[in-house]
Amino acid sequence: MKEMKDNDFSNSRREFLKRTGFVSAALLSVSAFSAFIPSQKGELGGFMGALGSGEAQAAPVPGGIKEKLKSIFGGRKVEMSHVVMKTPIIAENGAVVPVNISSDLPMEPGNYVKKIYIFVDDNRDPFIASMDLTPANGKAALSLRIKMRKTSQVRTILEDSNGKLYGSTKTVKVTIGGCGG
Amino acid sequence: MPQIGRIKIRLPRTIRKGQVIAVKTLITHPMETGFRKDKATKRKVPAFYIDDVSVYYGGTLISHAKWTIAVSANPFMSFYVKADKEAPLKIVWKDIKGGVYEKTVQVKPR
Repeated sequence: MKEMKDNDFSNSRREFLKRTGFVSAALLSVSAFSAFIPSQKGELGGFMGALGSGEAQAAPVPGGIKEKLKSIFGGRKVEMSHVVMKTPIIAENGAVVPVNISSDLPMEPGNYVKKIYIFVDDNRDPFIASMDLTPANGKAALSLRIKMRKTSQVRTILEDSNGKLYGSTKTVKVTIGGCGG
Repeated sequence: MPQIGRIKIRLPRTIRKGQVIAVKTLITHPMETGFRKDKATKRKVPAFYIDDVSVYYGGTLISHAKWTIAVSANPFMSFYVKADKEAPLKIVWKDIKGGVYEKTVQVKPR
């Protein structure tokens, strides 16, 4: 999504809330209904663009996922582009949440997507799965069905052979959690 | 409980040489997290899941996936392969109890 491009992983929840706070309370209450989320996001994106924040930040990072990302990627920056992640807006059953990742990044020898990671912020272990790819795959894409404990952000990070990171995040609303217990 | 390790792999019906094809895979596996409680015995069901998936095309490893408990039961996975030769496509799943499940399909580009 276009507005997701401006997101950044190094972002704090407070800042996010501050920004969205400007959007009227009515809009926020509307956001509880999934049907309105796309339009709301669109407005939000436009709004943030209008603010002129060059490094727009939107994704809140809870402690667990932050540590996890740091341990895997160090302090490397994630570019929020070239990756399209498709998830349902509402997952009725958290035990089966389809995630579809695709990318237009090249898959040539010497310049290809090396690894695809999937994370869910609020799961007990935020790391869900990873897949190593080679140029023989021809296309950097992956579909998987994952479990989600509760409503949370799903994020994917692609690492290319030069060590550059690309990512995308989406929020999925879960009505029944899927980790048992 | 259906049979663990039953595999389905689906390729496009017609494949042109050099085409990037979608490979869809499905394997029957409970993918127990280790957190779930058996309602009858009130005991936790021990963890039992696939943590390693390898894809071989023409004998060379082209993809390798690492999974955790958070992959759904009866895992579905789809990915792409560049069909530039007639060769077997072998996919191997390994679970944490030592189970190895594999299936080979022939990629026949025309």
